[in-house]
Parts: sequence; C-alpha cells; structure tokens
Amino acid sequence: MKLTKILLAVLLLALLVLPAILPAAMVNAAIQMLIAALFACAFNLLCGQGGMLSFGHAAYFGVGSFATLHAMSALNGQGLLPTPLLPLIGAMGGFICGLCAGWFATKRAGVYFSMITLALAELLHSLAPHLNTLFGGEAGISSMRAPAWGLDFGDATQVYYLTLGWVVLSIALLYAFTLTPMGRLTFALRENGHRLQFLGYNVHRLRVLVFALSAMFAGIAGGLQALNLESANYVLFDMRFSAEVVLNTYIGGVNVFLGPVLGAALMTFFGNAASDLTQSWLLYQGLLFVLVMMFMPSGLAGLVLCWSAQIRRRGWLAIVPAAFSALLGAGVLSLAVVFLIETLQRVFSQDYQALLMTDQAWPAISLFGREWLPGALLTWATPLLLGVAGLLVLKLARHQWLRLLDDEPVVNAAALRPRVEGEQP
Amino acid sequence: MSDAILQLRDVHKSFGEAHIIRGAQLELRAGERHAVIGPNGAGKSTLFHLISGQLQPSSGQILLGAEAIQGCSPQHINHLGLSRSFQITNIFPGLSVFENLRIAVMRKHRMQYHFWRSVQRYPEVREQTEQLLEQVRLQDKQTVCAAELSYSEQRALEIGMTLACDPRVILLDEPMAGMSHEETDYALNLIREVTQGRSLLIVEHDMDVVFSLCDRISVLVYGEVIATGTPDQIRADRRVQEAYLGEEQCA
Repeated sequence: MKLTKILLAVLLLALLVLPAILPAAMVNAAIQMLIAALFACAFNLLCGQGGMLSFGHAAYFGVGSFATLHAMSALNGQGLLPTPLLPLIGAMGGFICGLCAGWFATKRAGVYFSMITLALAELLHSLAPHLNTLFGGEAGISSMRAPAWGLDFGDATQVYYLTLGWVVLSIALLYAFTLTPMGRLTFALRENGHRLQFLGYNVHRLRVLVFALSAMFAGIAGGLQALNLESANYVLFDMRFSAEVVLNTYIGGVNVFLGPVLGAALMTFFGNAASDLTQSWLLYQGLLFVLVMMFMPSGLAGLVLCWSAQIRRRGWLAIVPAAFSALLGAGVLSLAVVFLIETLQRVFSQDYQALLMTDQAWPAISLFGREWLPGALLTWATPLLLGVAGLLVLKLARHQWLRLLDDEPVVNAAALRPRVEGEQP
Repeated sequence: MSDAILQLRDVHKSFGEAHIIRGAQLELRAGERHAVIGPNGAGKSTLFHLISGQLQPSSGQILLGAEAIQGCSPQHINHLGLSRSFQITNIFPGLSVFENLRIAVMRKHRMQYHFWRSVQRYPEVREQTEQLLEQVRLQDKQTVCAAELSYSEQRALEIGMTLACDPRVILLDEPMAGMSHEETDYALNLIREVTQGRSLLIVEHDMDVVFSLCDRISVLVYGEVIATGTPDQIRADRRVQEAYLGEEQCA
C-alpha cells in the first residue's frame, strides 16, 4: 500500500535525523529501542510466522553478544572484520546455536517445544557463570570498539547509526524472507505442519532452519548490544529477557510483520521513561500485557489495522467520536489505576512505614505534585471516581463503535474481508 | 490386465492389545478406481494411515510399484508418487486458497529451501497453481481465507492440494462425508475428472458414489479384506451381504 510506504519512509527519515535532535542520554535509549525491535522481529519469525513459541530466545541473543565481544577482542577491529561488520559474528553464533538447539526443540511441538527452549536457555544461564574462558564467569567479559573506516565509534551517535543500519537491513531481510518460497512455507508450518508432511515436505528440517534463522537475527541483535555496551555477562541469558521479548512481541501483535517492532520499541521506550519515574514499572508492564491479551488479542498492530480499515471505509470524520472517547476512556482509566497503584506503593513502602507513629494520623504522601492524606476520603475517592468515569466512557466508546459498524450497509464486501497474509494476484 | 501399482501383503497393525488390521491383502491396479468399503471401525482409515506413512505396520509388506514403503516417512512416500487427502479436512486454514495450492505445487519444483527469490518470480508455479484452481473450480475464491470456504469447497481445495504433486496414486479418505446431495454430485464429477490417468483408492460411505465411480471394490471387515471385485460381483457376494449390507439393514 502506498500509505504504508510513505509512513515507513517518514519513519526512516525521522530515525536518520533523530541524533541531531535528541540529547545524548536519549540517543542511548534509542539504540536500545532499535535493538529490542530487531530482537522482537527475529523472534516473531519463529513465533508469529512459524508458530513456534520459544521461551528461551534470550539464549541466542546472549550467544550473539558473547561471540561478538570475543571477536571484538580477538580481531581488534582489524583485518576482514572491522568493527561495523562484527555483528556478523553474532549472526554466526546465533545461527549455529540455533541449529543445535533447534534440532532438539523442534522434535516436539506446542507446549513441549516451549519447555525445551526454556530448559536449554536455563541450561546456558546456569552453566555460563562457571565457564570462565567463554563467558567470563559471573563478572562477564568486556572489550573496546576499535576505530574503523575512519570512524572512531567514540560517541553514541556513531553507534546509533551503525545500529540503525544493521537493524534496518535485518528487518528488511526478514521481510523479504516472508515473500520467498521458504518464507511462505513457514506460514504453512504454523497453520498445519501435519499436512505439510503429506504434501512431501521435510517438516523437521524446515522447522530447524526457521529456528536457526530466527536465532541468527537474534544473534545480530545481541551483537549490536555488545557493540553498544562493550560488555556482557551471564545475566543476558536470564529468563526475564526471554519473557520480555515474548511480551513485546505479543503486545505489538504477532500477525502483522511490523507489529513486534512497534511493540518492542514502545515497551522499551516506556520502560526507559517509566523506570525513572516509578518503582512499579514491571507491574505496569504486566498489566499492559494482560489487558492487551484480553481485549486486543491481535495486539497494537491489530488495533491500528482495524482503525485504518474503518478510516478507509468511512473516512476520518466518522470514526473520530468513537476513537476519541476510546482514547479518553483509556486515558482516564489508566490515570485512576496509576493513581491507586502509586498511592498504595507509597503507603506500603518501608520508608513510609518507618515514619508512622502510634496514635497519630498517617502523614501525607506526595503524588502528582500534591499532598494526599491516606486518612482522607478524597485520596481514595479520586481514583475510584476516575475509574468509574473511565469505564463509563469506555462503554460509551464501545457503543459508538458498534453502532458505527452496524450503521452503514456494506458498500464493498471485499474491504470487510480480513486480509489474508501475503499478496495475491 | 494391468499391473498392480499398490499392493498390501499380509499387513497387520496392533495398538497394544487391539489388533486393528489383521492380515489385509489389497491390490490397486494402475489406472483403476478402487473403493474400500466396510462397516464403521473396520480399519479403513487405519489402512490409509499405514499406506501413507502416518502409521507403521506391525508386520507385512506394502509395495508402491516395486518399492517397499512400509515404515517410510510420509514425505518420502509422497515423493514416490502417492498423495492422500484426509477424512477430517486438513488444509492451511489461515492462508488464502491460492496460497494453499501454491504451497502444494511448490514441492514438485523442489523449492523448499529457496530463500533468495520472491515466490512470485516462479512463473511456472503460478501457472500450475492457476491451472489447479481452475480444475477444482475455485478461481473465484482464490484470495479468500481457506477457513472461510464452505465445507464442500474446502473438500475440493483438499483434493486440489492432493493433486498438486502430480501423483501416480491418490488416496481419498471419505471425500464426500458430510456433503449435501448437490455437493456430492459436484464432488463426484470433480473426482472423476481429476483422477483421469491416475490410480485412485477411495474410502467412502456413500454407496451410490462407490458403485458409480469405481471399477473395483474391496470390502474390509475387522481388519481383513473379505472380498474384492467389480461392483456387480460385490453386490452378489454372500459374505459381503452378511457382513456389511446385512448389518446395515439391521441398523
């Protein structure tokens, strides 16, 4: 579609001029967003397209990271592999590990597959601190970016452009893959691996290769992380990172190619921003995931697609009221939830509990630039009322939306049909 | 008389204690349409699973042409020229009709591991897919998601996928199950048309279909083939009447 292409071009342009606008600290956050986006996109090749939900993808990210660091130290950015090409080593590490782990994991499908990937990643996680030469023990290993091609990679901006280049290239390659025969077969693998066998395909080999490719691109993301941080330790293999990429991918939407990219970029951004503001960031992340899974199983990208389809059919003006009240309701409701969680978190924190004295009213806590007394009715009535108001507005939005859908006779049946993956003549 | 293209020699299959297939003997001749009928639970589907590689026989021999295929993997058997459909519709529900057929067509061109060229740049695959679409009369539906097809259209799609690799032997497992009268007629013509020049082994409960479509019929009862012959011979066979038709009358 034309609009999508224009939007992508604008996005790319914005990414290119970003370092000129942002302060240095933010450039670093942007690098992390890019890396997380690539990682999620690589993961989605396996999960969204191949239908294999891996719970241990941090392993291949980590292996890519370590491989790149070792290459960085060994080659010192000289010879055939100057610094900008080092993620290739990460790719290789990811691919080889992916082949080995994939061969075992893809012997089973479904839950068993997930469990095997989880176990393999945990195996690495518990082994790594004991392998000093390979993973540097508990301290990990570190290295330095060597100058190459007339660039010294001394500041974040140069690293940003290097990362951007690799991420854009990798995502483009991943997209191109979905159009090739093997990429089409990957979709069929998700839909019905059993039938593929009886069409004469070697399903296990196909699964292993898809697994390895996904691990390879995860390895590139890991390599970029290594270039950015110049160090790595065994924490990279932690279950938390494996879970994070799953969450990011599903929040973004597994059935749209760029969904995971969107999800990972947004969640990393919010993670960066919110972890400075509140201690409860992980709780919000979890809440967000549950809400997305319950109310928009196709993720943020699914929501975007649904709205844009309606805009195409009915024009901007028609959906504005419904969209506005939906956003308003969601905003008010999240304000209420944040208010409640932050109040509770402050009231139950150890610092605050230490201030309490018997026979005295609980002292005020400050939130949103105001002082709130835990004993006052207003402190608890505010989030409650906000919450009720938010729910009512959401209900209204839902009503408006349903009326909108009922409203018009179907002009063009083809426009309503859910889009089938892939192009057709 | 033409040569046998598929032969089952004393095939047995047990699941633990349960002895499902007890020494089945069957011969499919090149170019013939051959039905396997029998009461429920006689082991017809199991027989198909054994032939197509889904299950391994406990003992006995299955020959495709001159090659023994018992215990081979499904994809290997497919490569040797045997293709099957399933009793329960077995397609790629989330993909378009065109994509479903294209995936089936790609196998023949050994494109499984091609990752360097867009699938659109294989004109021969596209042509054959379109041909197949026309053959199973789904041209109008090619961009529709396979899950949204009507039941009989899904069955037609499945037959199309079964045909895509240009097999010598086709196994159809109850292609008409659950179809209305018109749909059955439509499917019957379709099968007659697309199996020209191939050997067909079909399991079907609809006796009208069996008797009008097939050259020969085998009757499977309790895992044994008790009779094989032309439709007229089978109608006249006393044992068949006892074991099968009689039972149906009682029911």
